[in-house]
Amino acid sequence: MTKAYRASAGIMLAPAVTLIGVFILLPMLLTVWLSFQDWSTQTPFAEASFIGLDNFREIFGSASVGRDFKGALLNTALYTALSVVLILPLSVAFGLMVYQRDVAGGTALRTVLFSTYMVPMIAVALVWSKLYSPSEGPLNQMLGLIGIGPQPWLSSPRSALVSIVFLNVWQQVGYFTVLAVAGLTQIPGSLYEAAKLDGASRREQFRFITLPLLRRTLLFSAVIAIINAVQVFEPVALITQGGPVGSTNVLTFHIRRVGIERAQGGLGSAMAVMLMLSLVVVVCALFALANRKDDE
Amino acid sequence: MSLTWISKLALAAGLAVMPVTGWAQSVTISYLTHWSPETVALLEAAAKDFSKTNPDVAVTVRAVPFGDLLTTLRSQGGGSDGPTIGGIYDLWLPELARDKLVAPAPEAVAGEVKGAWPAGVVSGASVGGTLYGIPNEIDVYALNYNKALFKQAGIAAPPKTWDEFKDAAKKLTNKDAGQQGFGMINSWAAGVVHPFASLLVSNGGELVKDGKPVLDSPQAGETFQLYEDLIKSGASDPAMATADANTTGPFLDNFVSGKTGMIIMANWWESALKTGMGDRFADIATAPIPVGPSGDKPHSISYSWMTVVNAKAGEAEQKAAWEFLAWLNSPKSGKNGASAMSDILMSMGILPSRGSDIEAHKDKLGSQFLSGYVSVLADAKPFPVVPGGQEFSESLQQTLEALQYRQVSAKDAQANAQADAVSILERAAK
Repeated sequence: MTKAYRASAGIMLAPAVTLIGVFILLPMLLTVWLSFQDWSTQTPFAEASFIGLDNFREIFGSASVGRDFKGALLNTALYTALSVVLILPLSVAFGLMVYQRDVAGGTALRTVLFSTYMVPMIAVALVWSKLYSPSEGPLNQMLGLIGIGPQPWLSSPRSALVSIVFLNVWQQVGYFTVLAVAGLTQIPGSLYEAAKLDGASRREQFRFITLPLLRRTLLFSAVIAIINAVQVFEPVALITQGGPVGSTNVLTFHIRRVGIERAQGGLGSAMAVMLMLSLVVVVCALFALANRKDDE
Repeated sequence: MSLTWISKLALAAGLAVMPVTGWAQSVTISYLTHWSPETVALLEAAAKDFSKTNPDVAVTVRAVPFGDLLTTLRSQGGGSDGPTIGGIYDLWLPELARDKLVAPAPEAVAGEVKGAWPAGVVSGASVGGTLYGIPNEIDVYALNYNKALFKQAGIAAPPKTWDEFKDAAKKLTNKDAGQQGFGMINSWAAGVVHPFASLLVSNGGELVKDGKPVLDSPQAGETFQLYEDLIKSGASDPAMATADANTTGPFLDNFVSGKTGMIIMANWWESALKTGMGDRFADIATAPIPVGPSGDKPHSISYSWMTVVNAKAGEAEQKAAWEFLAWLNSPKSGKNGASAMSDILMSMGILPSRGSDIEAHKDKLGSQFLSGYVSVLADAKPFPVVPGGQEFSESLQQTLEALQYRQVSAKDAQANAQADAVSILERAAK
């Protein structure tokens, strides 16, 4: 009976496991294998030659390959951290606003917020590159009206990455607001009623009921926000091309430049492996932290 | 076998052969370029003319931004369904040929090109003596300046030496009006490196000599120092220098709107200036690159573009592609003895490189804007076409941008640029 059960479970799982194996695990393993090879992306895999850890030594070395990779890794980490730090609180704040049925215009706000997520990135990039224009951009013109001088936005290595983060936050916050609203609907209204009877203020209700019960939703949002941010590519490719001075050169854009434009497949794969490992470490750390809080 | 059976078999054989014959006669080839929609329309019109005499060949045109051109060629050119023809920058050719992505030109085409184009341009389209593409445009850098701003600043003539250049840049700078004397470019490899290289060769230096980088020369040191001086004096503002993936952006906006007095740029941006400036385009003039303290006379950097054929495309597609390109670049396809390609290039202010095209467009090449470029062509030095050239260019771009934003001194920039170039070119030569 157990044997028959196992066989039938195996048969039923086989299609999904095969698909995952072929389309997810195999490319990942291939990338890991290529990271130890000297290989041009324009040649067959058979022409790859094993070079051990040389690609990893080079991407962490002091020559321009290493400097560019480490710069891109740092830029990606900063971009991700800033995006998550801005998106999560904003999504909760907006979520609370649109979830409150007694707030006028809640539905309209919800529609507006989510609509930014539906706009294609090419359109967002085109519009924002003009909004940020130092001489003719509306943002600087508006700042001028309140007596603030023109800001360099995308034209300075100090502010270019942050400017791209703002663009990302603007586009993504609606999606995360929807997630926050979904989380808020899971919180029983009776808890708030009980808290009110006990004399809890709105701030206390938020701190001791809303936030703790939103933790699972926020964890999910954080993981998705991190993965989305790490994969940032379009605004960099469309607006800044990684500049100025490599300040917006994020890893996906850099891997594309190395692996495809320069055809250095081995180096590009080593960079992709490092990106994958970093992502796994960050997400695991986040889950471990959340689990510890749960245990407490 | 009865007559009925014979006729049935003949019908079946005829039906089986018909589509094959049909496919063999009809060929569709695709042309990948980075040109604007207006220019693409001109190319499509030329392709239609070609199809009139070659009804079995259909040419489709696809355009991508300049920043995506090489990636598209590399990612799609490796298969038979990729673009059949690609317009490429000569710096990319050695690696595309090494990776067997581009096909050598057939003998007849190679013979025609070698006879009709200048030898230097032919060598830029060849690797190891084999011709891979039909050259079309040649681009050269010169100093563009705004005559109206010069007049306001009391400057009578464009600067001839670096001292005059620095002096003019200072006089043209007006921070209160958001005006800079000399416009640099950043966030675009060629836009950063070519003006620097033009100043370097005008100072008697070179980027690469005998396949080895020579950025550690005293002439290069003086050129890095010139950049530092311009930035430190405030005569050049890097925040006004940004470019985007379409090689437009604030650097162009600032020159067009009269916020930049001088800039070193190539002839091809004539159409962008005309579009942006309208009647004020008459204020823009061209002059040779100012000569540095170690230079003998004005020099400049030149580079060329060519059309190549996908080596992985089918035999029929490759044959049709070479026939189309030979026609497009021949004096038969355009007006008054010019090639259709040169007519398209001239619509953008780009200099054609075929001898007969230069002759056919003599009048337009004598315009106030373009004549300045034509005059410096003879003393221009080709940008070094070496394996790893694109990576070398991008690395030098990073160093120059760091210098623009005062993250490194001129001395450190020179040392970094040379060390990076040595490591990149050595690795690429392996």
